[in-house]
Amino acid sequence: MTVDVQRHRGSKGPLDALSNNLGRYVLVLLGLAVLDALGIWLLYRLLRDGAWPVALPILAILLLINVLNLSPKLFPVRWHIPAGAIVILIIIFPMVYTFYSAFTNYSDGHILSKQQSISRLEQDTYLPEGGTTYSWTAYRSPEGEFALWLVGPEGEDYLAMRDSFEDVEPGEGIVGPADEEGIPAELEGYQRLSRVEVIKFLPDLDGVKFGQPPDQVQVVNLNSVAPLVQRYTYNEERDAVIDQREDVVYYADEEVGFFISEEGEQLQPGYMVWNGLYNFQRLFSSSAFRGPFLRIFAWTITFAFLSVLTTFALGLLVAIAFNDPLVPGRKIIRSLLLIPYTLPGIIGVLIWRGLLNPHLGVIPLTLENWIGWAPPFYTHPMWAKVGILIINLWLGYPYMMLISSGALQAIPEDIYDAAAVDGANSWQQFWNITLPLLLVSVGPLLIASFVFNFNNFAVIYPFLEGRPPMAGTPTPAGHTDILISYTYRIAFEGGRGSDYAYAAAITIVIFVIVAVLTLIQYQFTRRWEEVSESV
Amino acid sequence: MDMKKKPLWIMIVALLTFALVLGACASPTPEPTEEPTEEVVEEPTEEPVEEPTEEPVEEPEEEVEAPTLVVWADETRSPIIEEISGKYAEELGIEVEVVQLGFGDIRDQVKVAGPAGEGPDLFIGAHDWLGELVANGLVAEIDLGQKADSFFGPAVDAFTYQGTLYGMPYATENIAFFCNPDLLSEYADGERPETWDEVMSLAETIEENSDGEATAWTIQTNDPYHMFPLVTAYGGYIFGRSEGGYDPQDVGLDSEGAIAAAEWLEMMSAEGHVEAGVDYDVMHTLFEQGQVACIGTGPWALGRIRESGVSYNIGKFPAGDDTNGRPFLGVQGFMVSAFSENQLLAQTLLSEVVASDEFMQGLYDADPRPSAWLPVREATDDEDLAAFAEAGAEGLPMPAIPEMASVWTAWGDAEELIISGEVTGEEAFQNAAEQIRTQIEEGQ
Repeated sequence: MTVDVQRHRGSKGPLDALSNNLGRYVLVLLGLAVLDALGIWLLYRLLRDGAWPVALPILAILLLINVLNLSPKLFPVRWHIPAGAIVILIIIFPMVYTFYSAFTNYSDGHILSKQQSISRLEQDTYLPEGGTTYSWTAYRSPEGEFALWLVGPEGEDYLAMRDSFEDVEPGEGIVGPADEEGIPAELEGYQRLSRVEVIKFLPDLDGVKFGQPPDQVQVVNLNSVAPLVQRYTYNEERDAVIDQREDVVYYADEEVGFFISEEGEQLQPGYMVWNGLYNFQRLFSSSAFRGPFLRIFAWTITFAFLSVLTTFALGLLVAIAFNDPLVPGRKIIRSLLLIPYTLPGIIGVLIWRGLLNPHLGVIPLTLENWIGWAPPFYTHPMWAKVGILIINLWLGYPYMMLISSGALQAIPEDIYDAAAVDGANSWQQFWNITLPLLLVSVGPLLIASFVFNFNNFAVIYPFLEGRPPMAGTPTPAGHTDILISYTYRIAFEGGRGSDYAYAAAITIVIFVIVAVLTLIQYQFTRRWEEVSESV
Repeated sequence: MDMKKKPLWIMIVALLTFALVLGACASPTPEPTEEPTEEVVEEPTEEPVEEPTEEPVEEPEEEVEAPTLVVWADETRSPIIEEISGKYAEELGIEVEVVQLGFGDIRDQVKVAGPAGEGPDLFIGAHDWLGELVANGLVAEIDLGQKADSFFGPAVDAFTYQGTLYGMPYATENIAFFCNPDLLSEYADGERPETWDEVMSLAETIEENSDGEATAWTIQTNDPYHMFPLVTAYGGYIFGRSEGGYDPQDVGLDSEGAIAAAEWLEMMSAEGHVEAGVDYDVMHTLFEQGQVACIGTGPWALGRIRESGVSYNIGKFPAGDDTNGRPFLGVQGFMVSAFSENQLLAQTLLSEVVASDEFMQGLYDADPRPSAWLPVREATDDEDLAAFAEAGAEGLPMPAIPEMASVWTAWGDAEELIISGEVTGEEAFQNAAEQIRTQIEEGQ
């Protein structure tokens, strides 16, 4: 019945393939089955390890592959699977994860789950008052059972086994006669292990209890066993951890992610919890936000705007200059001019950092030689900003040159001919024809470039880490800091270590700012389009 | 619509079920791997037919798979750790796998890999990571046992956090005061400055006698680590110390002594004796080219200073009001991951193999720094390192509390603002102390 429907609709779904080419269809199904098997195995492992944030995108991709291959309607777009997978993995997943993190307290001190935090606490042991530490010798049965011969501080000896702790003498029962050190050479059914031999069995002895309470001991190290007691126990009913040694109860506080005693003392490690809008409240009430935020915001916009303006101006100039076929060797020159674009940005920044170094850099030293003065690129707020803009100009103009060259060639020659007939000089032609027509096609790219530079951490931070410092701010801030490098400072260079959740929350706020700015700019490009229509 | 969707969902469910079955069949993989080992064990039994009684006793032992310890170490130390621990591991019937990471990466990776169950059993690191590692529950308590006395006391103290020992130290590091005796005798009386006031007058003398070609001292413009001996010389501190270690509630950057040190720096800047825009490279280049008589730096710079051929001597930091400047003491050591499933074995490797003359000497040879293992520390015949050890004898362990994260930038920025002459010493350090308090309070 369904098959009929498919046929009548003429779709090229897998069920069509069934009638046409059974073998191929079976192959697709088999391939999917194998892929699903692998995927489910992977998901099973990930979920078992509690790594569900990683499991989710993999599940999404797996479902996407299945749906696209099996749905008759979606079958034709199955070639989008790689693109779809990449979109899920590197765009949607980080966004969702950032968003999710922003509503938690994920930070140093809260990186574990509650379960992990409890099991970490349950590892701690202590030696109760009056507990004796013994030296020990191990014996092992062929079945892998262990027995320990213990010697106490006063020379008293005991035989400790899984369930028993006996005061026996060498030669009694299963215990063989003593050697010259007073330790039994053998136990019946067990083989004595030397100090070296026992080492490889330590994983089997780790945490294993011998005897019954109160005479229950465990291996502490190669030299001693002791009646250690677990210090913290978790009580599920009270949702609390009890310190057995100090007799203190620490209750789980699901708002801050700590076990806290009535005196307010917190147990380390804490754990991760949801805390709603707390990170946002924190941001808007923080000194970091009230303080230099506006100055940094203003410089961020200035930086992004001037970066686009300078790179576009230089890129366009170069593009126009080498657009003229009369320029000799223009292909080679154009290739050479592209070099900054081919280098990894971070290397470019570091090279420039060296060039601008006030004591060793080529540029300040040369300037000092020529004019006796060099701009203090590292230490003066204004010159540091100029330095940043120079670096970003060098890094960014080749891209602008590329897009302008392409767009220039798309402008019809006859418009210029007409303008020349009307008596327009080349300056007028540039302002009234070239630029407006160019902006129509490259306008969106300029906006993209603005957004990119708005968050261009990779130029700001490697150059001076946002310095030189501003004086008198409530929290540290620098004159070349842009919002994203300031975020880095707030979230990773302050407080009590790295605060990932807080960083995620601030990033979301920055995203909103960028989105609003971008929308405003698109209004401008509309205007350019109107201009182009009137040309 | 329903008609169209039905086959799709049936198909997916069927596929997933089929896949589950496949997955279930594939999952018990560990079992078959045991087969080949059994065969290997069985083969030799055929040969010594004459002594069948001994064989069954040995057999179960050989069946035991050698337990493996994973050690994370940096590129300087992993070869030597691999070599020595490998040798002993064979004797002990265990396996040691050394994974090489950048020193700083170890700190970040332990945080990610540990809780995910992919982390090491043992790793090397610096003592000032402890605040973060303990807050995150990543390290286990260790016990030096009978060997505790063979370790340099302050190094063990540095690895003791909130009363618990979390690491076995192997090396200490601190900066010391380098001076260029040639330059000192060319432009001055040739004596090392004993106090910071002498450093200031020396700067005047040298600048005058060299026509401004050289000066007495320089420091990285934004680097509190190298500024600490100046602060301590005048009795300043970063965090006050209480019984449990450093107290994050007691910020001392605006204490009387710290402000005195800041004012000294302000004066140096006002007189033009110290310049802004100096980074690590500039500081060392100026010293190596004979343009600066004295700098504070650490053993990591010995290589380049020796190579440059400049003459130097190493000693204590100048004194302020009463005491010599005390540098930060940094300690490196081995830590046991709290997520290791073989903690007992890992600790045993430390106490039986690492805590030995051979191992500690090997670590020293790989990267010469004053050893934390007394027999090696005392046998050090390198004069420079002995001088470092002496300069650091009064050193203060770098605070390991996580609140230290709030200190570095605020303090470094204050230093830079003083050197570039933007604010007074007092203002800069008072504001830095306020910044630190605010950040600690507002940090989560």
